[in-house]
Amino acid sequence: MTFKEKVFLYKLLNRNRTLAEKRHPMFDKNKAMKIFTFIFIGFWACYLMFFGFLFPNVLKDESEEAYDIINGGFLVFFIIDFLTRFGLQETPAQIIKPYKLLPIPENYLHSVFLIRIGLGGYNLFWFFFFVPFGLLSIALAPFYNFLNLVGYLLGVWLMFVVSGYWYLFWRTLINHHTLYILCPLGVYAALLFFGMIDGQWCYDALQWLLRGCITWNPINFGIIVIAVLIMFYINRIFQKKFVYMEIAKVEKIKKVKSREMAYLNKFGDVGEYLKLEIKSILRNKVVKKQFTSGLICTLMLCSLFAFTDAYDGQEFMRSFICVYCFACLGVITLTSVMGPEGNYIDGLMSRKESVLSLLKAKYYFICIMMIIPICFCVMPILQNKMTVMEALGCMLFSAGCIFPFVFQLAVYNSTTINLNEKMTKGTSNSKAQILVSLAALFVPMAIMYVLTIAFNTFYAGMIMSILGTIGVVLHPMWLKNIYSRFMKRRYENMAGFRATR
Amino acid sequence: MKTWQVSVQLDNVKKTFGDKVALSIDNFKIEGGEILGLVGNNGAGKTTMFRILLDLLKADLGEARIDNILTSESEDWKAFTGAYLDSGFLIDYLTPEEYFAFVGKVNGLNKDDIDTRLKRFQDLMNGEVMGQDKLIRNLSAGNKQKVGIIAAMLHNPQLIILDEPFNFLDPSSQLAIKYILEEYNKETGATILVSSHNLSHTLEICTRVALLEHGEIIKDMRKGETDINAELEQYFESSLHHETQNV
Repeated sequence: MTFKEKVFLYKLLNRNRTLAEKRHPMFDKNKAMKIFTFIFIGFWACYLMFFGFLFPNVLKDESEEAYDIINGGFLVFFIIDFLTRFGLQETPAQIIKPYKLLPIPENYLHSVFLIRIGLGGYNLFWFFFFVPFGLLSIALAPFYNFLNLVGYLLGVWLMFVVSGYWYLFWRTLINHHTLYILCPLGVYAALLFFGMIDGQWCYDALQWLLRGCITWNPINFGIIVIAVLIMFYINRIFQKKFVYMEIAKVEKIKKVKSREMAYLNKFGDVGEYLKLEIKSILRNKVVKKQFTSGLICTLMLCSLFAFTDAYDGQEFMRSFICVYCFACLGVITLTSVMGPEGNYIDGLMSRKESVLSLLKAKYYFICIMMIIPICFCVMPILQNKMTVMEALGCMLFSAGCIFPFVFQLAVYNSTTINLNEKMTKGTSNSKAQILVSLAALFVPMAIMYVLTIAFNTFYAGMIMSILGTIGVVLHPMWLKNIYSRFMKRRYENMAGFRATR
Repeated sequence: MKTWQVSVQLDNVKKTFGDKVALSIDNFKIEGGEILGLVGNNGAGKTTMFRILLDLLKADLGEARIDNILTSESEDWKAFTGAYLDSGFLIDYLTPEEYFAFVGKVNGLNKDDIDTRLKRFQDLMNGEVMGQDKLIRNLSAGNKQKVGIIAAMLHNPQLIILDEPFNFLDPSSQLAIKYILEEYNKETGATILVSSHNLSHTLEICTRVALLEHGEIIKDMRKGETDINAELEQYFESSLHHETQNV
């Protein structure tokens, strides 16, 4: 291949990858998610910049220069960088498949994707910290100038390129077997303990390496560049080997015994949909992950209340935990209500009122799940941290007011959730989902807080119980109403579900 | 076993996607007990017609009726209609046994009824569907297709709508489907609508064949009245020449 051809191919492949990222279903049809992502990135960028400006001042009275301290502790950046790359960086072995049969030399193909990773924008993200930090601690220092800052930033960037390739190496192995995650974590733990805490050699080495970059020492740059090249070639050999494994990968099919769950038969159609709900949680990665996060969140909040005195006497935080204990599982799982069902919406819609039975089953299931916070509430009630009326109020208010509110999303959600999408790919949230989940979590807390301040915990609990009971008693009516509105929007929703399958 | 016969009617139905006319049918009635074959090239509008009939897609204009019930206004027709268009009908995290039990029970059947009715499909399943301890999503495309078709027929519907039922199936299973549909129609007098690219199977089982092109029914042929085979061969050959000339 001539140089011109190589450049042409690089541009072409680069363009394809850029399009793949741009057109990822998570963002393509979801403006809200796009805005949310930009806000999230912006938040972290500001956060890093804040620390970048803060650290030179905080560390100015130390015995060492601020940049020496940060450079010595660079391992911490490596560790955070490694962990945050999960979910953001794919391995070339995963993306090379479509190009495998094209007449492009394989080495070149791998090199292109590796260079792309090296030049990737993510390696520059840490600059939000290092640019202000370097500016204050190096460029404005009396014995250095702007050129030294450039040298420092170049060194830092090359270090993150090494980190990117290091991550890639292990990520490829982790894709092969999850247990490989223990290796890099072990390395980091050992370096932290033996190189930073128990001895100073790792701290000293990193400090020396990056101080040399500030002064444009060719030996220091040489060492980092050699590390980049070694990691590059190791990865190229490695990716070539693993691309065959990726192509030949066959999903291991687990044997699954049919479960009858006969105890639910007596509930008729709703019982059948309850079975579906339980099986969906047990057998679909994404649904299971969502449910488990909700459960962990509930357990954490309940434990905070039951086993610690962290929030004793803090009325606002008490209201927060009290409401969240009962509501968070429901809010987390119901935010994407109908999303999993988008996969088989045509089947549901070809049976009379099946969506109504499904909604009923979902409501009953999430109400039954409140048994977990109820059990955990016994302890704080016995310790007088929470009154029975408060617990009852939060439970009934969740079941009768918060859940019906979140259930409204069944009318508007029209994005199918891929039931077994890899955890790293995530699911997208629409504007309505983001707003409803925020309102569902903050408004009830505010109501409880205001009621408690205005009256007392007993009356606050009683008012919430009354409101909640009304919602619970009226559940056939509001579920029917949601169903009717869903049916009015059915064509739009079905088109959305099909388009995102 | 014959109960009543269900007719299907499309009146002045139009559907467009952007500038493209997906379906445009002035008046089309399928009498109860008929087996209708829908044929046509890709994009002719076969699936769109089924989707509109099953109220899975909104027509821009016109009405679809099953047994004189407006499908977009009432759900009553669903009780006696069975359909399988694609894997979007399958709950793929269930095993076939669980799925059949689910479909059977929401249609008011008990376990014994379900087991009895499944016996009718034993040849089609050929020992590859039940008892495999696999979720539907882990079955082959052919076996998924079988699960969908069986589930559509499990509650003995008076109207069956199947989109390309012979796809993904091995020759034995194709013959089994053909036989099951013919027998079912004879026994119950059910109306059956089938779209297919397999002309020979379609011609063998169907009493009537409609040819779709760019959303319009350009030929409506009844067995015995015309040589359907010759008509279709002539159409598809001329359509091929037309495409080649365009290229």
